[in-house]
Amino acid sequence: MEEMLESNEMIIHLGPQHPMQPGPFRLNLRLKGETVMDAEVELGYIHKGIEKILENKTYLQGITIVDRICYLVALTNEECFVGCAEKLLGIEPPARSQYIRVILEELSRLQSHLLGLGEFGEFIGFVSMFMYTIKEREEIVGLIDMVTGARVTHSYLRFGGVRDDLPAGFKEKTLPVLNNLKKVISDYEEMFQSDRIYRERTAGVGILTADVAKSLGVSGPALRATGVPFDIRKNEPYLVYKDLDFKVCTETAGDCAARVQVRLNEMRESIYILEQCFDQIPNGPLFPEGTPYGRRTPVMRVPAGEVFHRVEDPRGEMGMYMISDGTDKPYRVKVRGPYFPTLQALPPLIIGTTVADVAAISGSMDGCTSEADR
Amino acid sequence: MDARTIIESLTGKFPEAISEAGIESPIRIQAYVDKDKAKEVCQYLKDSLQFDHLCSVCGVDYPQRNELEAVYHIASYDHAVVLTLKARLPRDSPEIESIVPVYWNANWYERETYELYGIVFKNHPNLKPLVLPEEMLGEWPLRKDYEGFPNKTARNLV
Repeated sequence: MEEMLESNEMIIHLGPQHPMQPGPFRLNLRLKGETVMDAEVELGYIHKGIEKILENKTYLQGITIVDRICYLVALTNEECFVGCAEKLLGIEPPARSQYIRVILEELSRLQSHLLGLGEFGEFIGFVSMFMYTIKEREEIVGLIDMVTGARVTHSYLRFGGVRDDLPAGFKEKTLPVLNNLKKVISDYEEMFQSDRIYRERTAGVGILTADVAKSLGVSGPALRATGVPFDIRKNEPYLVYKDLDFKVCTETAGDCAARVQVRLNEMRESIYILEQCFDQIPNGPLFPEGTPYGRRTPVMRVPAGEVFHRVEDPRGEMGMYMISDGTDKPYRVKVRGPYFPTLQALPPLIIGTTVADVAAISGSMDGCTSEADR
Repeated sequence: MDARTIIESLTGKFPEAISEAGIESPIRIQAYVDKDKAKEVCQYLKDSLQFDHLCSVCGVDYPQRNELEAVYHIASYDHAVVLTLKARLPRDSPEIESIVPVYWNANWYERETYELYGIVFKNHPNLKPLVLPEEMLGEWPLRKDYEGFPNKTARNLV
């Protein structure tokens, strides 16, 4: 980048630690005045080698490792990993376990979107937003804690089921939180729509069109904000999503405001899914009967084979490619996180904008560098 | 577009390059591709079979067979079929044509596969390490015979 520098240009490095970034990565910007002429992302500051670690851990131990890919979405990471092994084992969790998983994953989606909104507010200088959303998120995290016993890295899913049943009174505790959240989401929406500075910072900024988003490989809210109704829960239903009524939220503008709006609408849909789950959840066992699978299956050999399983993460399409050679450890696990291609698409999106907009665009992607690095 | 149509179209168009094509389930198909034809096949998939979404590129090491595999997962925004396309590469000189001209987001995936497995993607616009430091280049940490990285920081201090 230095070689291309003209006399009236300068390079600034945002990061690896910078208040406007979701995690440690370095963004090198070549600037002419305030305009971004060129941008480059440098990754690796939080690379953990998770794919290699997984090859050296048993499947049960692997569940605790995939939690650490991104602590915000630990449950969807577990779902993807456990789902891969279940497909190889040829088992399916019983209906009650599937509903419990959906309940927890939707709660997880709510808390992830809430934190994403708060961080976005902070990036564009609306710091109070973080205070509002973190308060509501705390309620949700408390509910997840009540079931799994952990706030962030839960290790809760098991092959063929879940570790524990929902505690008594969980529904009664959850529904008031959801009702309150519905009201709060409308408040956020009103706040965003009535704030002129917010509109100017986000509307028409960082526009992605549907064709460009597709060619960049983007998924999740950033893609749906361009009008493409791509959602793994609909396109390739897993668990009991095919029995649940929900719509895929899309917007057409493709700018920062549209991405935020998609997240707000998705939170409403998640609440609707949760309400249906509480009405429909059947009683029954947590693990398939007549199989050795339970909450403590110590040694488990997975039949040789390979599988590619996808789930819908709060940030988009999460996929894992698992190869088993018939032993108790996976031969290879490739983690295809949703933020990896989204972060890759950041440089083309910010070239031509101003430095101030970089924070808005990067924030509206709701990133998790930990997952991009793995 | 269903799995059978895709397989038939693919094997019909590339009878030489595509082998061991099979259907695992209605939404999962896989095939081996000749390493010199990988880019052409990807171009055909994108242009004619609506496979417009590259999920991932990764490597797999098979030391017993003395082979590396480059694995492409190619999906679509329109239909649910995911194609697992694999190319066998010799372990001592793994080289394959880059598919960045076809799928823009292959760029980082190929850089990552290069630094972790040593698979060289020919004509890649910017083939350099992504998540690893430069001094780890040549260690190929995700290969099965990797035994750990010597602590170079400590060695420098002595």
